[in-house]
Parts: sequence; structure tokens; C-alpha cells
Amino acid sequence: MQRRFLCLFFPRLMVDRLEREQPQRAGVPFAVVGEERGRLHIAAVNGLARAAGIQAGIRLADARALLPGIQIFLSDFEACGLLKRQLVEWCGRYSPLAAHDGADGIVLDITGGAHLFGGEAGLLEEIQTKLREMRFRVRGAIADTPAAAWALARFSRQVIVSREELPAALDPLPVRALRIPGEIAIELGRVGLTAIGLMRQVSRDSLAARYGPNVLLRLDQALGLAADSIVPHPPPAPYYAERSLAEPIGTTAAVEHVLAELLAALCTRLDKEHRGARRFDLACHRVDGSAAYLQVRTSKPGRSITHLLRLFSDKMDTLDAGFGIEVITLRAIDVDAVPPVQMALPQCGESAEGNASLDELLDRIGLRLGFERVCRFRVRQSLLPEFSIEFAPAAGAPAPNAGWPSHRVRPVRLLDPPVPIEVSEIIPGKWPVRIRAGRQLYRIVRAEGPERLTPEWWREKSPAWAVRDYYRVEDESGARLWIFHETPRAGNAERWYLHGQLP
Amino acid sequence: MRSAFPFERANGPDPAALLRAQVERLVSMERRFDRIVPVSGEIDAVLPFHGLPLGCVHEVQSSGLACSIAFASLLAARIPASEGQVVHVAPDSNFHPLGLLPYGVPPERWIHVTARNPVELAWTVLEALRCPKVCAVLAVVKSADLTLCRRWQLAAEASGAAGFLLTDPGARPAIASVITRWRITSIPAAAGATFAEPYWAIDLAYCRGGRPAQWTAVCREGRLEPEPLSKSPRRAGHAVADRLAV
Repeated sequence: MQRRFLCLFFPRLMVDRLEREQPQRAGVPFAVVGEERGRLHIAAVNGLARAAGIQAGIRLADARALLPGIQIFLSDFEACGLLKRQLVEWCGRYSPLAAHDGADGIVLDITGGAHLFGGEAGLLEEIQTKLREMRFRVRGAIADTPAAAWALARFSRQVIVSREELPAALDPLPVRALRIPGEIAIELGRVGLTAIGLMRQVSRDSLAARYGPNVLLRLDQALGLAADSIVPHPPPAPYYAERSLAEPIGTTAAVEHVLAELLAALCTRLDKEHRGARRFDLACHRVDGSAAYLQVRTSKPGRSITHLLRLFSDKMDTLDAGFGIEVITLRAIDVDAVPPVQMALPQCGESAEGNASLDELLDRIGLRLGFERVCRFRVRQSLLPEFSIEFAPAAGAPAPNAGWPSHRVRPVRLLDPPVPIEVSEIIPGKWPVRIRAGRQLYRIVRAEGPERLTPEWWREKSPAWAVRDYYRVEDESGARLWIFHETPRAGNAERWYLHGQLP
Repeated sequence: MRSAFPFERANGPDPAALLRAQVERLVSMERRFDRIVPVSGEIDAVLPFHGLPLGCVHEVQSSGLACSIAFASLLAARIPASEGQVVHVAPDSNFHPLGLLPYGVPPERWIHVTARNPVELAWTVLEALRCPKVCAVLAVVKSADLTLCRRWQLAAEASGAAGFLLTDPGARPAIASVITRWRITSIPAAAGATFAEPYWAIDLAYCRGGRPAQWTAVCREGRLEPEPLSKSPRRAGHAVADRLAV
């Protein structure tokens, strides 16, 4: 099938952005100033400033001389980039393959999709009308190759060009329309090759010899003789559902209703292919061209509609509908194979459905509190209290556990980090009789120990420990604690710590 | 609309329906506590349910939380592992499953959730209690009002899970409505006992439909063995609350 590309050219995106921010700016002459090689020059001007004779590229001082009252804005590439990204995502409603095309252009692969909007002319008309309603200055063109559409959008009055007409349409355009570097275009102009048509009459070998192979490649790309590609943004998701709404919607219930339909469409397909996704991205495109996004993640690839709906509805109150939402898209990302499970009979022991409900619980808690706050435990082969247990992520299969010697008594609450305590009346070589932890005083009447734990030198993350002697102590009222002291290093006093509470 | 009988109250409740509702409530009360786990022979004899009922919310108080976690996991361990996981929700992560190994719940059965604030904690407990694959929820709570308690209670009733609210007795009045309220205090051990066998004063402070009672017991290999208070109690009982404010 012959591919067709639509190219949109925003000649004054920076100016449009400023005028959209504050519409009254259109009433005064202003310019956007950029810095290049240490000097300030005009990057873009609005209509009034242009009428006063100011052109892009001149120095700021010259512009001020021409029009002393001109308003100046510094160019903000970040904001422009963001606006451009929003525009590309907005264009996603016309084709899933929409891509950035330089700083001031967007290219869409509209192959086989134009008839949905009343043919290519209708499609181009609709896009341009809508963008102009959003107060963007825009020119569009449709051709067989991205390069040709790029050239036509910028340099030609002809906007829709068929394959047969393409060479004739390109011939009168200047060589700059081939996206070749400016200095090469100037050199071509010096030898009289000012138009693409003239270039095609010259022998290809001599062109390549003088100006490098790149010029020929650009020419071939424009004419469709060499391959060219676009890089869609966002990356195409094969699992994608979309709903365009007749009237903009603004209520949570309405969005949830549409979301349920989209999820049903997507999950039915995933179910048929025995697949599930770990991430679902919902994009709600508002009428003013901006978009709101919601994302849910699951710990295991899933396709349960009710579960995903609940996950989304937990987050729905963060969604801002603005002036109304007109297009909603849903993508399934990180798609993985999920073998179908046997439905369990009731009273038949372990059921896969029951386990699924536990995963759903972990997903919901993880999404609301953060997945790092939900954990399971893995016993590790280490006697050091800090290392003997690992906080493992709760998602997925339970991790295998190392064994634990049952005669080692451990506290049920382990303080991290250990709390320094004040001690007095230490029985020589043994435990202290009086302990002060915070404001609490203990008089120790019974103790067990020491249990000596030496640092594990092979562990990279092992703290710079001394040898620790642990004691289990009980005070006269029955409170039981786990305390230790580090063997004193040279010059240091012996320090005692409270490390845990025993029941 | 006028009633055919002028002396009948037009909008008054039907007495028969009221009675039926009352009977239904009584029956459902009985049915609600038909699933129990045994605590220990002596204690079960006092409890009106002949054990600790599942599908409802209990409160376990102890100073410093260590005793209440151990006691609650002792009870949670008696629920068959096939009924699911044990969820522990707390504002901190000073939780050590290896220390709880002697009390019967192995590390792989625990799920720990760190909640940053009381709102998150309340929500997590509610969600966990609703999950059919969670058999018990241990939550370290500061306070809970009547509405919240009732919601937890209803969630526990629906799923059959047991909720244990671990509180500090210093934070009274804490929990509005629970089925049972226990107060566990560690007491000095008998001579010759090891630290693996803690001695507790167990105080059943409140029990719906039952009487309060006190015991002293030692926890040996995951079993509570009643122990008459030793001959010379150094300082026994429950006056030793408000400890360990570390």
C-alpha cells in the first residue's frame, strides 16, 4: 500500500505560545529573543513587530532602534517543547503514528486512515481548522514521503500531492526544502542550482562528488526513492483503545463509564491472546488541546476488568477535566504472557482466584501507599539482626526462605537504628544493672548472654562494626529488652545500645 | 392515604417486623461467632464463645507493643495457613518476623505495610480485612472512633478475617468498640526460666457477653500454659503499664 504522510508546520510556535498565554499580547508588538554565541538576537516576532520592519535573525539592539517600545521575551525552549509534545499527543487522535519533526513540525503517518475524516482534503481541513481555533498558526501538506510533505508544508502552495504529481510539485521548490545544511544550499545556489528541478538535471555522480552523498540521499528521500522513517511519540502501543466523544464530558462517572468500555475492549483482546499487562496508561484529551493522564501499575500482568476499574477509580479524584474531555485513549504497556487458569470448584482447597484477590489487595495498597511500603520477608543466611531478614517486594511469588536456628531468641520489635542507652553499675564482664533509655529507667534483675556476633567481613555493605555482645535482660517489673555493647576500640568508651524488645 | 383502622398509627413500625428483626439479630449474633480459634483451655472456659471468635475485631493492649504483637500472632497462628496471609500494618517498620517465629507465624506468611498517617492506616486495615485471602490483620493504632471501628467490624464479618488492634494502654481512651479487649503485661519469670518462654499477666478487660478475667501464663513452644503466680511475686499484675516509651 502506498504510504501517505501529513506534515504540519508551525511557523511561529514561540509567538503562538506567548499569545495563547495572554491573548492581549497580540495587540502589542513583541519579539522573542534568543542567545547565540554570546549575542542576543531576535528569534521570532509577532505580526505587529513584523509590520514595523523587525525580522527574525537581527540583533536585539537593532530591533530596539527600529521600535523602541517593543516588548521582549526570552525564548523558553522547555515550555515550547512541552507545548509541542502536547500537540503531538493531540494529533494522536488522527493517527497513532504521530512524530516530532524538528522543533517546529509534526508528521503523521495517515496511511489508510484519511477516509475516516472525509478524505485527505477533509482531514487536512479539520486538523488545520481545529489548530487555528486553538490559535496556532499552522500549514499542512500531504505527500507520499515525510520529506516531501515537509517541503510542501513550508515552501509550496500545493498542499495535497499524489504520487504522479510529486516530481512536478517538488521541482520549483528551493533546494533548502530538501532539509540540507544551509551552507550546502548556499553553495548550490552559487553554481545556479537554486531549485530542486535544476538539481535533478545535473548528473548524480558530480553532485555526490562535490557536495557529499547526503544531498543525494535527501533528494531520493523526498522523491520516495530512498527509505525514510518517522519515530512516533508516544511509542506505538499495539494494545490501544480509543473513544472519541460526541460531546465533551466532565464528570468522574462519565469518564469511568468510558473507561469501562475501553477496558472491556482491551481486556477482551488480551484475554483472547492469553496475555496481560503490567501498566495501563489512560490519557484524557481536553477540548483545549491539553491532556490529563492517569497510570496504574500492577505487580503481575493482569487483565481483570473489575480490578483495573477499581485501581483507576482510586485515582480518579486526581483527574482534572478542565473544560471537558473529548477523546479518551487507553494503552496497555509491558504486555506479557499470562496462561489461562483453571477455574476452581468451590471447597476444593487452594484456588487461583483466591490468590488473585491477594495480588489485587497488594496492588491497591501499593498504588496508594507506594509499592516500597508493602513487603514480604525473606530469611537470609546471616546471624546479624540487620541482615538476617530482608524486606522483599510483596509482588510476585513468595521468595524462598533460608532456615533459622530456633534456639536463637530474637526480639519481636527490632529498633533500626539501635538506640544508645546510658548504663551504670556494670557487673564486670557482664551486663549493667541500671539502664536509662530515653526517660525510662530499668533495674535489671535477670539476664542471659552474651551472644557474640562478629561482623561479616565478606559483606560489602556491612557497617564498620565492632564485635557486638548481646544480652537479653529483664527488669524488676518484667520488661524484657535486647541490648548490646560494642567492644571498645582504642580510646573509645564502651557504648551500650538498646536493639529490640522481647515480649 | 387514610388507614382503614383509624386507631392504627399510619407510619409506625410494624411490631411483628420489629420482633422479627430482633430475632434475626440475635440469631446472626450467634452465627457471627461460630468460627473460633482456641486460646488455651482455661481461658476458653471463661470466654462465652468457647474460644476467640474470628470475623471480628479485637483489641490487644500492651506497653511497648512487644507483648501484644506476640500474643496476637500466637492467636493468628492458630488460623489454618490455607486461609491466607497475616497482614501487619504499622506506622514504622520496627517489625522483626524472626522474633515472632516461636509464636507460630512463619516469615513467609507475613505481609508488612508501613502506613505514613492514620488515614492511610485506616484504609489499609479496611482493605486488608475485606480480602478473602487474608486471615488476620494486626494493626498498630493510636485511636479509632466508633464509625471506623464499625467499618472494620463489618469488613471482618464479611470476610471472616480477624482484626487485632495493637494499642498502647497509655493512649486511653483508644478504641471505641471491639468484641474483646485484652491487656498483656510481661511479668518477671519464674526462677530458672529462659527468655524463650515469656511470662505474661493476661487480663481480659472486656468481652462482649462475658465477664472480665485475669490469668498469668507462660508461653511455651507456641502454647499458653497457665501458671499460678509464683510464690513471691516481685511486682505482679497490671500496675506495670506505661513502660518502655522508647
